Amino acid sequence: MQRREVVRFLGAALALPFLPRSAEAAIEAGEQLHLRLGGGEVPFRTLNGAQQALVTDIAGMIIPETDTPGATSVQVPQFIDLILSEWASDDEKTLFLAGLADIDARASALASNSVQPQSQARALRFVDLTLAQKTELLTALDAARADKSGAGLAFGRLKTLTIYGYFTSKPAQMDILKTRMYFDGYKGNVPFTPAS
Amino acid sequence: MAPLTFDAIVVGSGISGGWAAKELTEKGLRTIVLEAGRPIDPAVDYVEHVRPHELRFRGMGDRNRIERYQPIQKRCGAVDEYSGKFFVNDLDNPYSFPDDKPFYWIRGRQVGGRSIMWGRHTYRWSDLDFEANVKQGVAVDWPIRYKDIAPWYTYVERFAGIQGRPEGLAHLPDGHFLPPWPLNVAEEKARELCLQKFGGERLITNARQAILTENHGGRPKCHLCGHCERGCVTRSYFSSLTATLPAARVTGRLTLRPFSVVHSVIYDPATRKARGVRVVDGNTLKMFEVHAKVIFLCASSMESARILLNSATSEFPTGLGNSSGELGHNLSDHIMGGGARATLPWFTDRRSLGNRPGAVFVPRFRNVKTTHPDFVRGYGFEGGAERAGWWRGSEMSGFGTSFKKSLVGDLGPWEMTLYGFGEMLPRHENRIELDPHLVDAWGIPALRVVCTYGENEKKLLDDMVVTATEMFEAMGAKDITPIKDDTAPGLVIHEMGTARMGRDPKTSVLNAHNQVWDAENVFMTDGACMTSTANQNPSITYMALTARAVDHAVTLLKRRDL
Repeated sequence: MQRREVVRFLGAALALPFLPRSAEAAIEAGEQLHLRLGGGEVPFRTLNGAQQALVTDIAGMIIPETDTPGATSVQVPQFIDLILSEWASDDEKTLFLAGLADIDARASALASNSVQPQSQARALRFVDLTLAQKTELLTALDAARADKSGAGLAFGRLKTLTIYGYFTSKPAQMDILKTRMYFDGYKGNVPFTPAS
Repeated sequence: MAPLTFDAIVVGSGISGGWAAKELTEKGLRTIVLEAGRPIDPAVDYVEHVRPHELRFRGMGDRNRIERYQPIQKRCGAVDEYSGKFFVNDLDNPYSFPDDKPFYWIRGRQVGGRSIMWGRHTYRWSDLDFEANVKQGVAVDWPIRYKDIAPWYTYVERFAGIQGRPEGLAHLPDGHFLPPWPLNVAEEKARELCLQKFGGERLITNARQAILTENHGGRPKCHLCGHCERGCVTRSYFSSLTATLPAARVTGRLTLRPFSVVHSVIYDPATRKARGVRVVDGNTLKMFEVHAKVIFLCASSMESARILLNSATSEFPTGLGNSSGELGHNLSDHIMGGGARATLPWFTDRRSLGNRPGAVFVPRFRNVKTTHPDFVRGYGFEGGAERAGWWRGSEMSGFGTSFKKSLVGDLGPWEMTLYGFGEMLPRHENRIELDPHLVDAWGIPALRVVCTYGENEKKLLDDMVVTATEMFEAMGAKDITPIKDDTAPGLVIHEMGTARMGRDPKTSVLNAHNQVWDAENVFMTDGACMTSTANQNPSITYMALTARAVDHAVTLLKRRDL
């Protein structure tokens, strides 16, 4: 083979994209392309209105608005919906949504135990509780995060996703934590005082 | 199509293939590197500086996609939204194993191979390792000793750039080191306390890593962004893509052909040598031949052996190079998973700055100066201490304003992990063979893997838990939590032994210079050649053996002995 031929031969190989060989992989490549062409995100594809309100309320209580943004304003509820819609398995999603229902059931029981007048036609939900009642319930659920189902499990998942979604958000990374990516060598003994 | 002709063929462009390419081209040979996978462009493919919010799943990976296309690869922690693309599509690259004997084969097919995602820990072997087989009657004797490889360790370390702390240990020889990153204040104290308590036997030292702490050989020093498996645009950790292959390219004698899936070696019975290789074009599926005087198989332990298994002739009906019956056998990995983690109750007024990709190493201390009654060989620990910051949040009780303040403004205690990696004894029954029913996406017969850990490895695993716990107790650490992961072989990603070196062609596949006994112009210098595994991470040994084998090959070529 002449050198020119070799170069052309090799060049042709380099210019081609790497096509998936299996049918499944080819379909996947097509789906990915459609996803990109599809453009913008549709918010809340899994959580219904009541569930959105519940998740937003609890996420906001885990990481509240203070002098810095809280979970709600960095769109943690939308992140949780994305994870439920595109990341979680069917079993995980079912368990989580059942746990959210259980949180409302626990809230309803807590409200009916109190002396509050119950004028509403529907059962009270978590979002209807007083702040003190909400805090009381979440404190109980916080101790039950290791539960394998129900309200404790749902709160545990919500807490993990809220913290992860919050601290990996752009405002948290860039403005609050001011996460650095580059360092001039490793320093292993730097004075530190917790922020007051 | 007429065959392409070169002086030398290198199959695979990873750790070993990159070194073969560099050495062969620098010694004047026109060399083609045949890489099965795609080219990698650091400017496009490297994502180490992408922040989590720039990714759809914030770095957690497209789980459904990974489940579908990488059901094996997903078992490696690095298969995430950043680095998953550096691991193979399992549907295109099938292999099989018995249902009750899982072996998870973690693979990277691209220019650079797994040197893009490797762990970068680099430890020399010693004669404690090279002599162990013959002293204990295990497998066969290594045909080399430390003195044979020591100058080659130095040679590859000088080029690669290895940081390390000289400790003067006979069984973990110091290398040609760049200065190490310091231990942090918590690790230094852990080191001191263990030195006192264990009489110097259990040494916490700085991890020895192929990561530059100063500018070296035209490559800038590391900037501690922390996730090497995502790539490195500054070329500060060693990979073939950014170190050896560029060195080969500047000679003007390198041809690098991606999408070139080597099918088999062409054997010429008249000369009793290999004439070249058959290659399937990854895109067109057309087969072509490449011919050369010398062939280096550096496709990874299992792939290189697979190529020879697929190269059967009437003279070698079970695979070229298999007159010993050992080709494909003695497959080994390391054993990992025993250790402990704990809280170190010191220095809450101190922190670290910089994301180290590796921190500490505890060299083997079992069966070094004393003999353990229950097992042979030993293990080392990798690990380190850091303060978790916000990551500790989901483990902490609480919520609300003070909880948020603590996660934003405080770091939590120093937490330290010690995680063991131990030696695996080679056993003949641990093997790869051609699966009679399975081919890959390029029509090439695929592998069936049969490999299990033995009793000695299980005892090492148990002992890792005991000794790591003892070390934390000796430090006065709190919340000591033993770790014992029950992992299947493959997941340490240190496959070795499928074409072992030896002194006798009747019991080994390769001679003391990595030449196939049955076809002496074929060299295998990746993990396939390893006669035993030691407990150290093996890549630096592949590098040294490769450079040594090329030197030998070129000497033979000059003498017209090949």
